[in-house]
Amino acid sequence: MIEVRGLGVTFPGTPAPVLRSVDLDVRPGEQVLVLAGSGAGKSTLLRVLAGIVPQVVDAEVTGVARVAGLDATTTPTADLAAHVGTLTQDPTDQLCLPTVLDEVAFALENRGVDPGLIGPAVHRTLASVGAAHLAGRRTAELSGGEGQRVALAAALVADPQVLLLDEPTALLDPAAARGVARAVRGAVGDGRATVMVEHRLDELGHLPARVLVLGPDGRVRADGPTERVLHDDARSLAGMGTWLPLSAELTAAGVGSLERLTVDPVPTSVPGVRVLSARGLSVRRGQRTVLDGVDLDVHAGRVTAVVGLNGSGKSSLLLALAGLLPAGGTVTGGSVGLVFQHPEHQFLARSVHDELAWGPHRARLPDVDERVSAGLDDYRLRGLEDRDPFRLSGGQQRRLSLGAMAVCGHDVLLADEPTFGQDRRTSAACADALRRLADEGRGVVLVTHDLRLVGEVADDVLLLRAGHPLALGPVDDVLADDALLSRAGLPLPAVLAASRTTGHPVRAVLRALRTATLPAPVRA
Amino acid sequence: MTALGQALPHDSVLHRRNPTVKLAVFFVVSVVVLVPVDPWTPLALLVVAAPAVVHAGRIPWPTLGRAALLFGPFAFSLLAVNAVTRDGPVVAEVLGLEVTRTGLTVGVALALRTVLVGTLAVAFTLTTDGARLMTSLHQHARLGARPTFAVLAGYRVLEDLPGRWTTIRQAQSVRDPRHRRGTLPRDPGSLSRAAFALLVVALRQGERMAIAMETRGLGSGPRTVHRPVALDRRDAVFAALVLGVCLLVVLVTWRAGLLRTWSTV
Repeated sequence: MIEVRGLGVTFPGTPAPVLRSVDLDVRPGEQVLVLAGSGAGKSTLLRVLAGIVPQVVDAEVTGVARVAGLDATTTPTADLAAHVGTLTQDPTDQLCLPTVLDEVAFALENRGVDPGLIGPAVHRTLASVGAAHLAGRRTAELSGGEGQRVALAAALVADPQVLLLDEPTALLDPAAARGVARAVRGAVGDGRATVMVEHRLDELGHLPARVLVLGPDGRVRADGPTERVLHDDARSLAGMGTWLPLSAELTAAGVGSLERLTVDPVPTSVPGVRVLSARGLSVRRGQRTVLDGVDLDVHAGRVTAVVGLNGSGKSSLLLALAGLLPAGGTVTGGSVGLVFQHPEHQFLARSVHDELAWGPHRARLPDVDERVSAGLDDYRLRGLEDRDPFRLSGGQQRRLSLGAMAVCGHDVLLADEPTFGQDRRTSAACADALRRLADEGRGVVLVTHDLRLVGEVADDVLLLRAGHPLALGPVDDVLADDALLSRAGLPLPAVLAASRTTGHPVRAVLRALRTATLPAPVRA
Repeated sequence: MTALGQALPHDSVLHRRNPTVKLAVFFVVSVVVLVPVDPWTPLALLVVAAPAVVHAGRIPWPTLGRAALLFGPFAFSLLAVNAVTRDGPVVAEVLGLEVTRTGLTVGVALALRTVLVGTLAVAFTLTTDGARLMTSLHQHARLGARPTFAVLAGYRVLEDLPGRWTTIRQAQSVRDPRHRRGTLPRDPGSLSRAAFALLVVALRQGERMAIAMETRGLGSGPRTVHRPVALDRRDAVFAALVLGVCLLVVLVTWRAGLLRTWSTV
């Protein structure tokens, strides 16, 4: 169904090819998981198979890529679409029409299917991905998880022979991700060849039988049965910054279980002075109360994680703490910086250097150059000083947005989902940066639904559900309380469940696992 | 008011009419009212049209009034400019400017014409779903698939724009260490930087949406429409009725000797 021979792809303006000499055969009915670090060409491979590269996105392509018997590099994307369904990360990029019905029917209309057959096919496909109840909705009103299910239905409705999935759960909260992963599992059926890029392997439930690993140089590093490749190659995979299922991570760490890991104690952070205090914080949006009666003290030297599902009021809390939303209650304390979820929303200058200098300049700080220089080093931005922030890679943008806020020297730093959609290396770098800021004596508040990140950096956890505080306490207590997590709707990641059996604090266990699997020093 | 491009959320005779037919009828009426420059013809048309659209579209009077009021300043400026710039017998002097009878007549005519066209435009907008209009234009006016769906995708981007604009302004204002709680900066520099970020983000989203539509086969050949917009005899009756009444009013004002055109004014 898919036949790739000696595929090489080089994008204009980049010195090195992103893919080199890639061979891949996928038979009908076969499922392949593609693993690689950031920038190693996973998405590019999928875009070649979908006919997007080089036809819509310019690139120099060598070798052969045949999909359903057609040359994917020359067959127009729209014609190839008769055989290929594609699902990408972000529902807002894929839902192009105003209503769910129109959206799902679109692929069939484009193929000239008899209008009488389209309606039943649309409803059948929506039902097959657990979205039958969304048939009457407008696409703009859907949540991330709902939108992704509708986008999956839109990709599946024409019954494609090939399904390409590019991190379909990357931007979802854990509950929504599991729902979409379930729908995806149902979609990889009879005779359909599936190629999938996915980070959240533990949440997939069960992994495709075959895995293709791309090295940092864009060459195929391994291709074979998932169990064997993950086991044999675990160490190098972990070194590349790829997310791995827990079993493979343990293999990479050279242990059979977390209990066998050598865990060094990590120093407990002692709460410093109170740098921010919120009392009775509440936020209304229109007629809806999205946050109600939240009290929170932020102390220097401590990281407080705010967790909860989408819609639990996490982001509203941060906006209220930063004084960016009209809110009831009081917020008192020092200066506050906030790192937003999408770095692009926050960029103000046309070069990395100016971006870092922006805040210190506005604050009329005397040592702007020193701060910029330290920011370039701390956030691994040396060599990128003159680059346009909007043209950086996702990981670089993330580091820049963190750095640009950190150099301002605020008493409190708030961060909204800083590891959203990032690979393991960037996530680890973010975690380190936040920890370092706290250790420097700032108060840090981190909003996330990644409980592993919480375990890695947080001292305290505030659990929110539907705008109300469920619990506020030390991280080890909150993460040990199954009933509480289940009330918040947050499934415990496998690694956190396993860490409970070790008897060590969760941060110490995760730190030990990091050290054992990501040997290269990670500096944000 | 409704969200951008969405009809009032109820059913009515006007809601049920084919959007392309409605648009065409609206266009023809707008062209016809270019002819008279006396106040009586547009006034008579307005007296007929306003209750007609309120009734047929079940549009509340205040909603129609508020929306039509948007055309007020333009109508008034037409009246004012014409009143003092046309030759003719002087009827008054205002702020040192001579107001002529001819100028007043033409000015009132043009102002009423503006309010009439505005009323019809508002009625069209409040009873027509943007997406159904595009589907209908694609289906009945042979608008190509690519422009049709480009507009629809653009509309989706537009729907997200207000929320994104607020987020970007919040995100950028907090970058300024001197930002004040509870306020977002409004100086031209801040607004233009926010607009630039919004432009970049929206353009990139547009690109990705264009690719998403290609990967679902847009432009691969002849296409079908699964929920076609109806076009039937009732639309013909609607068109005939509206255009008939319009012509009748013009005929009546002509026979009554009230009709003036640019050549007889």
